[in-house]
Order: sequence, then structure tokens, then C-alpha cells
Amino acid sequence: MSSTTVISTPSAVLATFDRTTSRWGRLTMIAALVMSLAAPLYLVLFADLGITQTQVWIAFLAVAAVFSVLWVVEPITYYPILGPAAMYQAFMIGNIANKLLPSALVAQAAIGAKAGTKRGEFSALMAICGAAMVHVFFMLVFVGLLGSWLVTIVPADVTDVARLYIFPSIIGGVIVQLVVSLKQPRVTLIAIGTAGFVFFVLVPAIPAIANLATGITVVTTAVLAWFLRRKPRSDSTKEIS
Amino acid sequence: MIPSLPGDPGSTDILTIANLPILWILAVGVFAAIILQTVLYVRAARIAAPAAGISSAELKTSFRAGAVAAIGPSLAVVLVSVALLSLFGTPAVLVRVGLVGSAATETASASIAAATMGAALGDASYTQSVFAVAFMAMSLSGAMWMIATLVLTPLLRRGDSRLRSVNPALMAIIPAAALLGAFASLGIGELGKTPVHILTVLTSAAVMGMCLFIAHRFNVAWLREWGLGFSIVIGLFVAYTLHTTGLTPGA
Repeated sequence: MSSTTVISTPSAVLATFDRTTSRWGRLTMIAALVMSLAAPLYLVLFADLGITQTQVWIAFLAVAAVFSVLWVVEPITYYPILGPAAMYQAFMIGNIANKLLPSALVAQAAIGAKAGTKRGEFSALMAICGAAMVHVFFMLVFVGLLGSWLVTIVPADVTDVARLYIFPSIIGGVIVQLVVSLKQPRVTLIAIGTAGFVFFVLVPAIPAIANLATGITVVTTAVLAWFLRRKPRSDSTKEIS
Repeated sequence: MIPSLPGDPGSTDILTIANLPILWILAVGVFAAIILQTVLYVRAARIAAPAAGISSAELKTSFRAGAVAAIGPSLAVVLVSVALLSLFGTPAVLVRVGLVGSAATETASASIAAATMGAALGDASYTQSVFAVAFMAMSLSGAMWMIATLVLTPLLRRGDSRLRSVNPALMAIIPAAALLGAFASLGIGELGKTPVHILTVLTSAAVMGMCLFIAHRFNVAWLREWGLGFSIVIGLFVAYTLHTTGLTPGA
């Protein structure tokens, strides 16, 4: 525990750590990115399914209409909590809010490190490493190895029902979770109102836009939420609270 | 040597193409990338620990604490993944639901993508072609998250607080609005189908509401993580009961 002859200064050591984690964090993430795209690309190009480029682009644009805001906003939102090194872990491993962040907080509490300090950053990084290993292990064993066996021992009509109704049984729970965790009653009402209007008024009137319904709802909700937000007293000028 | 491909655009036998060996190899590759990253990070952290004022015992404690805290959420993700296997096949579920994305965003993406081809997940219109396009669209969307991370992280490191302070009010409202808008739309879309769909959505929502209420009221933290797992299982149970008692014609 002596601090006598240290070869390099702490700041130099930390700079090396930053460089190492950034370089390898990026490289491993790019590798995962390429492999995750190669799989569907293989099906589209070589599986003889008669898929046209146009079909892929239309599908992608429809998904982009819904999620493109989040692609940019989520990394910015999580950066202050995660720090640069953990960013490359978090957005590759996924399940950030429901698994990685709780793990990091538990670890910091366990060793009494505060978020925002170097100790806190290292503790969070190690916690995410631990969480990643548990997750990888569980997914490989229970889904990769045993998953298809688990599905085969289930009777066919149960699988049929699971396939038909999996989406409604996810969506109900997700909506409630979102509404509760975001705590934005005004935006919630705007979203439900807009979705209802689009589905029960707009789409029946103009059936051609049925496929764009979700995109239209997202954009309209965002615009309405912005203009109908609660403004701190003064009208639309810069607020001084 | 390219093996003969079993592709059949109109077939609804998704699992034949969803479980191709090459897809398995690529899925395992993604897991390997994560394991490699973890090993490199742990090594880097060990070397730099003294400079960060953290002991190697504390590093070990942090790793273990993070691992233990992840058990519950990971099992919940496993539960959801198994339920989605028949829809996307094992490799796609491993990569899309287990990693990178989440059950919610990925099924939402797949459902939106399928809709552009006039199809719906899991029914007779869900052919191999629709699956491939949906898989492609959700993978591209997931890739955009990673690309944004790769581009923004170095920028944020330089600019740090500047980027976030551009317009705090906008940043607080737009993401929430986009999420709520997307899922409200998808939820209402399900209500427009059959009575079984409606009751399934409502059951799932009610179970989640109950889980969150109990978690909050009696301070049961794990229930918050398991909420979605329970919602899905009980939702499917209700759907099964209603479906087999013949509330829907045919299907």
C-alpha cells in the first residue's frame, strides 16, 4: 500500500485506460454490428425469397419513422450516467434501463462509491461486465441450448396461441410500464388521443395510409406534446424559473 | 460451397430459414464480441484501478454485485425470449431480443415492418419473406442505435454538457412523446382486431399495473423486473383459454 515509486502518474494511467477501452470498445461494437446485420442480409440476398430492395427500404423507413428519434436521443441521455467506456458495452448488450443501470447502482452502493467519481465509473464498469456475463450465460443456456427444446415439449396449440397473441400480451404490459415510469400524464393523454384519432377516424377515411399509422401517430404526438407542453408562466419566450 | 437454400417466399414455416446454421454462427459471433469486450475491459480496469482510487477487492465486489443484480432481469428476458422463439427463431431472438434491443422495441419493429407488406406477426400472412424483411428492418434499426453510439460517444466526450444543454425542454419531452405515441398506436392497433386480442391487451396491462402497484406499495423491487414476464405469461394464458373456448371464428 505504499505510494513510493509509481512508474507513471495516475492521470497518465487513466488516459491509457480511456484509450484502451475506447479503442477496444469501438472495435468489439463494430464487430457485433457487422455480424448482427450479416444474418438478415444473408436471408434477404441468398435465401431465394424474392425480396426486393424497395420492400426492405419501405419496411426500414416505417420503423425509422417510429424509432429514429430514439437512435440519437438514447445515447445522449445515457452518456452522463454511463461514461464513454460503458457506452460501448451498454448499447451492444441492450436492456439498459431494466438491467445494466440497476446493476451499476447496486455495485456502487456495495462499495460506497459515488456516481460521477472515478471510483463510481470503475465500479459501474465492472458491474456491467458482471451483468453482461450473467446475461450471456443465461441467454446461451436457456434460450440457445434449451430454448427450442422447451418449445418442442409444449403442445402445438399452445405454440399457435403464443405466436398469434404474443404481441398483444407484450404491448399491454409495456404501455402500462411506460406510462408509469415516464410519469408524463399530459403526453400520455395526447398519445392515446392521437392514436385513437388516427386509427378510428383517419385510417377508416383514408385506408391507403393504414401502414403509416404508427409513424403518423408518433410525429403528431411529438409535435402536439411540444406545443401543448406546460410552459412556466411566460408564453413562448425563454423561461426564467 | 453454398448449400442448397430452403427458402420458399410463400411458406409460413419460418423456423426452416430462421434456424439456418449461418445465422447460428453469426449469433454466437455477437456473443463472442461481448465476451471479448468484457475480458478486455476487466483487464484494463485492473491495471488502472490504483489510479482511480479503487482496490482490486472493490473491483471484484462490483463485478459480483452487478452479476447478482442481473440474475432477475436476465431470467425475465429469457422468459420473454422463449415466448418469441416461434416467431423469430433462436438466432434472431438471441441477437435481437437478448442483446442490442429489447422484447418491446424488437417486436414493435417487426410488427411495423410486417405491416408494410400487408402482413401481421404470427398469422397466415406471416411468410418467410415477411419474416426476412422484418428481421432485416429490426436489425437495421438496431444497427442505427450502435452507429449513433459510435458517432456520438467521442463527440460527447469532447463537448460533454454542451450537446445536452442545447434545448433541455425539447430533450425532456420529445423522446417520451415518441415512445408513448409509438406504443399507444401499436396498442390501439391490436384493439382493432378480435375480441381475444382486446382481452389479451387488457389482461397484460392489468397484470403489469398490479405488479407495479404491489412493487411500489410493498417495496418489492424484483417484481418491477418480472412485471413484463408475468404480463406476457398471464396474457397468453387468457388468450389460450379464450381461443380454445372458441371466442374467435377459425384462425
